[in-house]
Amino acid sequence: MTKILIMEDDAHQRRLIQRVLEHGGFEVVAAPDGESGLRIALSAKPDLILLDMGLPDMDGQTVAGLIKGSTFLADTPLVAVTAWPRDVAAEMAAAYGCDGYFSKPISARRFADQIRDLLAEYGSTRPEDGGSTH
Amino acid sequence: MQRTNADSPSPSRAARRPRCDLIPADAYTVAELTDIYNQTRIDYIVPMPMNPARLQEYIDNYDLDLTRSVVARTGDKTLGLAMLGVRPSHTWITRLGVVPDGRHLGAGHAMMSHLIEQSYNVGASYIILEVICGNVPAHTLFVRLGFEEVRELLILRRPPGAPKASVPAYDVVHGDESRALELLQRRRSAPSWLDEYESLRNAGSLASIEVTLADGAAGWLAYQTSVFQLGRLVVQTEQGDPASVAATLAHALHTTHPHKDTKTENLPALDEHLPGLQAMRYMESFRRTEMRRPLDPAINPS
Repeated sequence: MTKILIMEDDAHQRRLIQRVLEHGGFEVVAAPDGESGLRIALSAKPDLILLDMGLPDMDGQTVAGLIKGSTFLADTPLVAVTAWPRDVAAEMAAAYGCDGYFSKPISARRFADQIRDLLAEYGSTRPEDGGSTH
Repeated sequence: MQRTNADSPSPSRAARRPRCDLIPADAYTVAELTDIYNQTRIDYIVPMPMNPARLQEYIDNYDLDLTRSVVARTGDKTLGLAMLGVRPSHTWITRLGVVPDGRHLGAGHAMMSHLIEQSYNVGASYIILEVICGNVPAHTLFVRLGFEEVRELLILRRPPGAPKASVPAYDVVHGDESRALELLQRRRSAPSWLDEYESLRNAGSLASIEVTLADGAAGWLAYQTSVFQLGRLVVQTEQGDPASVAATLAHALHTTHPHKDTKTENLPALDEHLPGLQAMRYMESFRRTEMRRPLDPAINPS
């Protein structure tokens, strides 16, 4: 099953994304901050990382820089989730090597499909196929 | 504890408002203050959440006085938080926020009035604060309380990576924290609270770079370096074109630290070094307006 890591400090938002993705057939691991998120990323090797750009210990850009600078994680699709204005989000996500971004609030109805589309774009297996990615 | 309804614009609205209690922030643990702060920012344009370690660092670096900072409450409900930094000639209002369902009850006005009074009490000659551009309700409140805009300040980011743009040949000298502090005492530009000498000295882990270009241009850079990040950049040109000097300093910095992310706060939007930094891939993340309110001791409300 395709594994998604969510790094999101807001518990409500984290639970919402987790429920939506699990309902959509994904395996989900979640972290409330950058440090634990990086630890989970290194141990669980997710197929995609959803990164809130406003984390309480280190901000999203720093986390993105560390993920994309890691030989172990650099190829993992990284998607920013942010409340920033769209133009700033697009510029910042691209500059920090993110493979895409979602503006908050996410659409609970469409989010799992959007993630499936992203994974398909990056050559990952769809969750219903039951295979691993990359 | 201070109780107030004095922030109400009219008696009829005041009658409808619940009583707002102001409690000194030192009655709370840093973990509790962090939780309150995060609740107030949950729907902000740039939420910037913190954990207790980061808030404690913030308190220490920026000389926040918790005995003069306040939490606003009504009954059992926490409405908001406002903190006051205190230095000899001036004070700084920061971390002001009201929880989403506690707004429009006068808590923001009450906390601000309290911090203004505290600023008079410590003998400050003026108060400064910063508000994120686009936060109209906060800006309106500050103007109503006598604050005037001073300048716009930029928060800049640069992703990790060695410089790609080339610069003319230069000589470079790297310095340690004591050299950085020495250079900062020669600073000519007007700092914001975040990069005043005291803030940088408190933050520590400083280093410096001095460059001289072939055409005689020269300048220096003081900065903070941590495991993953560079920050708190202060650039000064001693001679020559500021943009060229800044680009050369940034080139030297990122050649030395190619794997580190960079975040630097409160560079004035009109700073002449900005084009040089932009040439080295610095980009604007967001901007703040710095505001200032003079304090005339003759009209101390207390």
